[in-house]
Amino acid sequence: MTDPHLSRRTLLRYGAYGAGAAALAGTAASWDRLTGADIPGRDDGSLVVATLGPAYGPEAVRTLTEGFKKVHPDIKLRVNAVQAVDWSDFFAKILTQIAAGTAPDLVYVATEGVQLFAQRLGVALDHWVRRDAEELREYFADVHPSLVESMMYEGSLYQLPVEFNAADIYLNNQVLKRAGADFPAADWTRDDFTALLRDMKKASGSQFTPYFWTNRLWGGVVPWLFANDTNLLAESKAPGGSWLWDSFYPAAQRAGRGGGYRWTTPQATHDRVEEVYDYLASLIREDLCTRPEGGNGQNLIGVFSTGRVGVTPAGGFWAGGLNLAGMRPDGFDTQYFPRWRTQRMQFGAAGYALLRTSKRQEEAWEFIKYAARRDTLMRLFETNQTTPARRSMLTADRYRETGPKHWPVFYDTLDKFPDTGPIPAPPQVAEVEQVLLKHTGTALSSPRSVRPALRRMQRDLEKAMEREI
Amino acid sequence: MTDTQIQAPPRPPAPAVTAPRPSARERGTRLLAALFLAPTIVGIVVFTVVPIVGSVVLSLFHWNVIDSPSFAGTANYREMFTDSTVLVSFRNTLVFMVFAVALQLLIALTLALAVNGRMPTWLRSVFRSAFFFPLVLSAASISVVMKYLFNQDFGVVNWLLGLIGIAPVPWLTSENSAMAAVVLVYVWQQFGFSFLLFVGGLNNIPKEIHEAAALDGATGLRKHLNVTLPLLSPTLLVASVVGIINALQVFEQPYVLTNGGPGDATRTVVMVIYESAFEQLRFGEASAVGVLLFVLIMAVTALQFRLSRRFVHYQ
Repeated sequence: MTDPHLSRRTLLRYGAYGAGAAALAGTAASWDRLTGADIPGRDDGSLVVATLGPAYGPEAVRTLTEGFKKVHPDIKLRVNAVQAVDWSDFFAKILTQIAAGTAPDLVYVATEGVQLFAQRLGVALDHWVRRDAEELREYFADVHPSLVESMMYEGSLYQLPVEFNAADIYLNNQVLKRAGADFPAADWTRDDFTALLRDMKKASGSQFTPYFWTNRLWGGVVPWLFANDTNLLAESKAPGGSWLWDSFYPAAQRAGRGGGYRWTTPQATHDRVEEVYDYLASLIREDLCTRPEGGNGQNLIGVFSTGRVGVTPAGGFWAGGLNLAGMRPDGFDTQYFPRWRTQRMQFGAAGYALLRTSKRQEEAWEFIKYAARRDTLMRLFETNQTTPARRSMLTADRYRETGPKHWPVFYDTLDKFPDTGPIPAPPQVAEVEQVLLKHTGTALSSPRSVRPALRRMQRDLEKAMEREI
Repeated sequence: MTDTQIQAPPRPPAPAVTAPRPSARERGTRLLAALFLAPTIVGIVVFTVVPIVGSVVLSLFHWNVIDSPSFAGTANYREMFTDSTVLVSFRNTLVFMVFAVALQLLIALTLALAVNGRMPTWLRSVFRSAFFFPLVLSAASISVVMKYLFNQDFGVVNWLLGLIGIAPVPWLTSENSAMAAVVLVYVWQQFGFSFLLFVGGLNNIPKEIHEAAALDGATGLRKHLNVTLPLLSPTLLVASVVGIINALQVFEQPYVLTNGGPGDATRTVVMVIYESAFEQLRFGEASAVGVLLFVLIMAVTALQFRLSRRFVHYQ
């Protein structure tokens, strides 16, 4: 039989438990708890814009937000700077947000994701572009049609490009001087390039690498494929798009334009692709370039600025990067990618894509127009961390403090080489990129492995392109 | 013949056996125990059991996040067994596990024995902290730094090797050396955990046993092999179980150092899961690979415990 009487000690203990529980419950009840409304942009009526975090620091976010508020005080804006290593990582995080039901209204999308977003997630901007044609005339007049075409998919426009980067060649002037070499001519060839690397190697020590490149879709093997008049996937143009070209571009500029790029049949085993890999393998054998590592080239700025690398492919974004690393404007310079069979070059561009799930599409369109305005881009791209899509923004004044001397090369890569095009990025881009990086690494990791690796690349690319996204 | 069988008198009914009613104090204690355990149980159910069940279910569907899932039956599993990347990743992970765990245990045990030897207490503390320190750092940060150190052209490792006349090694860009580099980086960071376990285990071995062994003439390596190791076997079991489970799930080091390359030389199972799900939007296939990895880890751990009956000696 249990003792129906509680001892004083037990009573006090249970009293303490009760008081503690009540205190905890009271505290919990009084706290501001997280609810669905606390998830950024959810249920608070904001227009949510997802940007790539490292490219959009707090200052850029403030610039965008405050500037937009002045123009559209009635639209509440929230910029969500998503931290990611690269575009692939960024898209993965955006897709996770979409899966979680917290999709942003607008996503900053680079060439790598344009077709994926256009095919599965995005809204074509055609209707708004037609409606606000007068307002946009000045924008299109300032932006090269190749950039605009790279943002089209199957005849429709999905983004207004605000920035781009073409793979040009950066040269360290100190290394050039050491090698007794002249700054290369604009029409230099692949053989001139090889000779320059040999001169650099001769004049420098064993700890020196003449040519450094990173194994990635943008700026890796692809510029060489373009120079040798080929591509990883067969490239063609979709029909359509005349509604845009006829409205905004003069006849000379719209010739040959279509409704966006199509990348279809893999051609990794084509002779010209093999030639490119053979050439790169020969540079490695001669110790003129590194075996390519994967990654985003983050370790490159240091070794280039200290003269341990002579030459590397990079875009306008590097002008700001080298300046931040302490390199003087006259310490480096830029030239076009060398000619092989052609001097066609590659670029990647970026702009804002409007998602189908957005309930604020009119407001989102207003933001897209605002983000493409010249004054907005002037404030955003003050430090030359990229190449603005607007031609008029590339001036001597802009590059006076950062360099390079031949800054016109950045936009002339488009203006003087109208066939310069975007990196191959079909909707299956994630798998295509992975296959490219994987087999490029193998092809160049040991002698006589080019052909077997390219055969495997072809097989895997075929498989990737057959897959429905 | 008469029936002489005498019927046994009926047994009195057995008294009903009832458990004694718990006292109010016991009930309170049980309630309190349940309350304290509840957060952990809820946590395990929500964050472990539900995801495992979810993964098994998802592995039977095709799902790309954008569209609704569609039932795939066993297609993801069949696909997995014909995908060369998946198969290579399992081979790589097993190779990695063997070398990483063996090296990790060997280094940790050697250092634990050394630190447990005669030395000033303050120096012992310094070594313990130093060996454990890498474990508290982020694996991704360490891998970024190591990527610089192991760079073929500009890395400190090759520079040091150059001082003694060794030609630059393509640590991260050659199929022959990339896995070795990943193992080295992983072991450097992870051995501190096993080290701490071994130090604790060594301290638990009574001094008298060592003294008795010494009187019997056991010294040096013989003493460690015949006395220390058998007595340390329970700790070795724990260290190897934890080490193998962690090694089978390796991700950060190969992802940052080599991104799985060159080719697939360092691509691990968890990398394939990540790439399939979050880069290629094939969540069903990624889940199928995840389920297989789960089964593999369970099987290896079960095998370890089975073998432990033979090799582990409890005092």
